[in-house]
Amino acid sequence: MEEYSGDEVSFNSDEASVSVKECIESIIGGVDYNQNKVNQWTASIVEHSLTQLVKQGRPFKFIVNCAIMQKSGAGLHTANSCYWDTATDGSCTVRWENRTMYCVVSVFAVAVTL
Amino acid sequence: MSNQQPALSQEVLAQFNQTTESWGSPRRRQGSISTLRSSQSQPRDRKGPCHLPMPLRAHPGGVGGSGTPRGSNVSNPNSPFFRRESGALSKRFSFGWLQGGRSSFSGLTLHQYPAVQEEVKLESTYRTGPDQDSRFKAAPIQNLLQATLDSYMEGVCYSPTAGSHLGQVLAEMLRGKVKEVCPPRYKIVCQVVIGQNGNHGVRVVSRCLWDPLLDDFAVATFQNASLFVLAIVHGVYRE
Repeated sequence: MEEYSGDEVSFNSDEASVSVKECIESIIGGVDYNQNKVNQWTASIVEHSLTQLVKQGRPFKFIVNCAIMQKSGAGLHTANSCYWDTATDGSCTVRWENRTMYCVVSVFAVAVTL
Repeated sequence: MSNQQPALSQEVLAQFNQTTESWGSPRRRQGSISTLRSSQSQPRDRKGPCHLPMPLRAHPGGVGGSGTPRGSNVSNPNSPFFRRESGALSKRFSFGWLQGGRSSFSGLTLHQYPAVQEEVKLESTYRTGPDQDSRFKAAPIQNLLQATLDSYMEGVCYSPTAGSHLGQVLAEMLRGKVKEVCPPRYKIVCQVVIGQNGNHGVRVVSRCLWDPLLDDFAVATFQNASLFVLAIVHGVYRE
């Protein structure tokens, strides 16, 4: 009874990365970095990405992280380390840029056992 | 002889389960105990420790932990398996049999033996969530992150080549530290952002879809003249 492992799906990072990329494009595709609007952009990107991920209907908890940085020649590094069940949990990171800014979105999916 | 085999295995299994229950142990053996000779069920003088004089014969469908009946009847109260030590005996006996049984046993291959030992069923704890004090507490974890960052990043200058490696090292280190203080049944996601401190704007936002009562996160930042570091740790309860 405990071992309901018949339907264990792992996180599909390709599918998630595609939907996140579409979200980013729809919100900041073709606009230049604007300090007044960046709060709004980041909030929209994470909200939309989360909504799209939830629409997939999979039994996961999600963590969506978005970093937007103005292009000025400075460097940016992101790293992550996770302690979880590698069979069921997963992550995906989407890097996007345009002429004036970089956008890095990370999605972490942690399985929920039903 | 072969007709007696199913009865013996069921009986033995039931005895074993009874003895383990009497210990209060939560483990039950689902697979049958392998037997080599079934005809000699009566003379069982197993008072000694692990070395049993009688190798047992395997149930044809039972070893490998598959078809053993769990609710079998106990019909031989005189069997030595009733004794308290018999559980341990039968457990150790299977190990002993592993060593000695290769030559005399037929029908089962060696690789099935580990399957018998893995078939343990744990009792349900009837617990639906962590205790109040076993939850992911953001404040102490944040202090830990801040202290670690401050001590590790003191005097570090940004360099493009070392930046990525530094990020990985930091992420692993922070994850390890949080794991030590984190309550059990929590999965940890640790993210580190390192950037050069220049004349530009950066915005990092995180949003989560989880159980707000059980899951939480902690953030720590560090900044000096040449770089900034942001560390985010999310703790997600493993339901």
